Amino acid sequence: MSRWGMVIDLEKCNGCEACAAACQAECNQPPVGESEARMGRKISWLKISEELTGKFPDLHRRMIPQPCMQCDDPPCVRVCPVHATYLGEGGIVAQIYQRCIGCRFCMAACPYTVKYFNWYNYAGGLPAAEQEAMNPEVSPRPRGVVEKCTFCHHRLLLAKDQARLQGNDPARAVYHPACEEACPAKAIYFGDLDDSTTEVARLAQSHRASRLMEDLGTNPKVYYLARKENHG
Amino acid sequence: MKTIKNIGQFTLFCAEHAFKGGKIFWGWIFFLVFLASMGLFTYIEQWRKGMVTTGLSDQVSWGLYVANFTYLVGVAAAAVMLVVPAYIFHHKEAKRVVILGEALAVAACVMAILFVSVDMGRPDRIWHFTPFLGKFNWPSSLLTWDVIVLTGYLLINLCLPGYILYHDYYDSKADQRIINGVALLSMFWAISIHTITAFLFVSNTARPFWHSALSAPRFLASAFTSGPAFIIMTFALLHKVKIFHIGWNIINLLAIIVSIAMQINLVMLVAELFTELYNAGAHSASAQYLFLGLKGYHNLVPIIWTGILLNLGAAILLMVKKTRENHKILFLACAMAVVGVWIEKGPGFVIPGYIPTPIGEIFEYAPTQVEVQVSLGILAIGGLIFTLMLKTLIPLKAHELGTNTSSHG
Repeated sequence: MSRWGMVIDLEKCNGCEACAAACQAECNQPPVGESEARMGRKISWLKISEELTGKFPDLHRRMIPQPCMQCDDPPCVRVCPVHATYLGEGGIVAQIYQRCIGCRFCMAACPYTVKYFNWYNYAGGLPAAEQEAMNPEVSPRPRGVVEKCTFCHHRLLLAKDQARLQGNDPARAVYHPACEEACPAKAIYFGDLDDSTTEVARLAQSHRASRLMEDLGTNPKVYYLARKENHG
Repeated sequence: MKTIKNIGQFTLFCAEHAFKGGKIFWGWIFFLVFLASMGLFTYIEQWRKGMVTTGLSDQVSWGLYVANFTYLVGVAAAAVMLVVPAYIFHHKEAKRVVILGEALAVAACVMAILFVSVDMGRPDRIWHFTPFLGKFNWPSSLLTWDVIVLTGYLLINLCLPGYILYHDYYDSKADQRIINGVALLSMFWAISIHTITAFLFVSNTARPFWHSALSAPRFLASAFTSGPAFIIMTFALLHKVKIFHIGWNIINLLAIIVSIAMQINLVMLVAELFTELYNAGAHSASAQYLFLGLKGYHNLVPIIWTGILLNLGAAILLMVKKTRENHKILFLACAMAVVGVWIEKGPGFVIPGYIPTPIGEIFEYAPTQVEVQVSLGILAIGGLIFTLMLKTLIPLKAHELGTNTSSHG
């Protein structure tokens, strides 16, 4: 059984946001417009935070792409009253849109604020041309439920189907999410954390690797590589 | 067969008295029905357009509705402050009025349940909450605990007075063991509903403003302030319009309870302020936002200090024997406590938990007109339930009026 994980090299990332754009196109995330985005209703499963350190002119700016951290011990799963979010195959935290009641408890519980509420009825309200631009592999979400990054789970399913067709073991299927594919700087690595031969597993062990808010004990499967300052 | 007929007759008697009243009564009912229907129509609007009609966002995902829910669970729990003296210590005057406290608990429970319901993004899926029918994440999710304890508390507070009044009405002997047992259960249950509501917030480890061991005890202290304070106000009004003779003994007893609970609440506030602000690190960002403002955002600062000043004023008025026993000032102090506690544990507790988010985003929240109108509507529904229950209970208890008129108020 694989344990899918991601490593993002912040030193390679140039903040172009191609990953976020690819994610929105791949997973049918609707554009909400500027005014709604200002209200905090932007749906972007992979959000990019800006981190500023130091003071001008010694200002350092760093962009931190944040998909769902796919925690091994996810707080959102624990608090959902109706089992609408769960830890699924390969350690991917999934959301069942048809079961979610929209209580938004998981949004309060998520330390990374990467659960998004559907404020509008995009699924039903799009013009025909835009409907056709949607990815048929990813289901649109109804209004009033919470959605989140799925680590492109639909691509995993496709890879498994492919493996079956070719007579290979589907449990050993390998796939790549849209954000990794889109990154021009090749800052995003993706793969099986439990397979020691993968680049991801090797980088996750690196002394440069850390995870967001590790002290909370959520055990995220998204690692960040940062410059190791030598203060010695 | 006879029991069914008896229950029918009893219900009929209650219904008959619920709708008997003069001009003031019907004016009050009309006012409440107006507010409730305004709330209902506004809610239909929210149902049609979705949660986008609220001021909520992904960053601040709970607002006015959950704030009111939190507060009202506390009001419901406060009935225990009459249940304990009445059923456990057999305080004579408490026994006469305990049923009014239980009526308030029923109304508050219904309002709390309504507030959670209107806060849901998919209210059509509310049945997913039901055990067995839906997939109930019990015991892991605190929200499922809340569903269980709130419904249970509502049932207890309907059944216990119902049982006693039924026997009162037919002059038959109620089984004292049942009454004592259920009263004891309701005592622990009252504490549990509010503790569990606090745990709902405390369970979010990433939000240090909520994730504090002091949250639950503070909830209890403020509940035992605002609940009895509201009961005092109702009692004083009932006494004033001479509908029901309450007796100042019990009001004075409640005033002491409010006074002590408020002092404990304020001590905890000071403890919290010191812990959060003496050496304000990243963990106290929410507290800084609430009490002082953070990075130029300070919507809640004037509101929370108004609440704190009201609480402080109420505490002083209640601590001094002279002002506490002046019934006009007592009424004022209670009103201050009711509003002050609402600010402190409603919006003053729920909203800052979200600001800033654990990763540092700041989005402020203000309720929209839709939220305000729906909230007023739900409060009016609670008011209707409480009023009609009082109208029913008072004639049932009226035969005691003649025997106990040692008024000194």
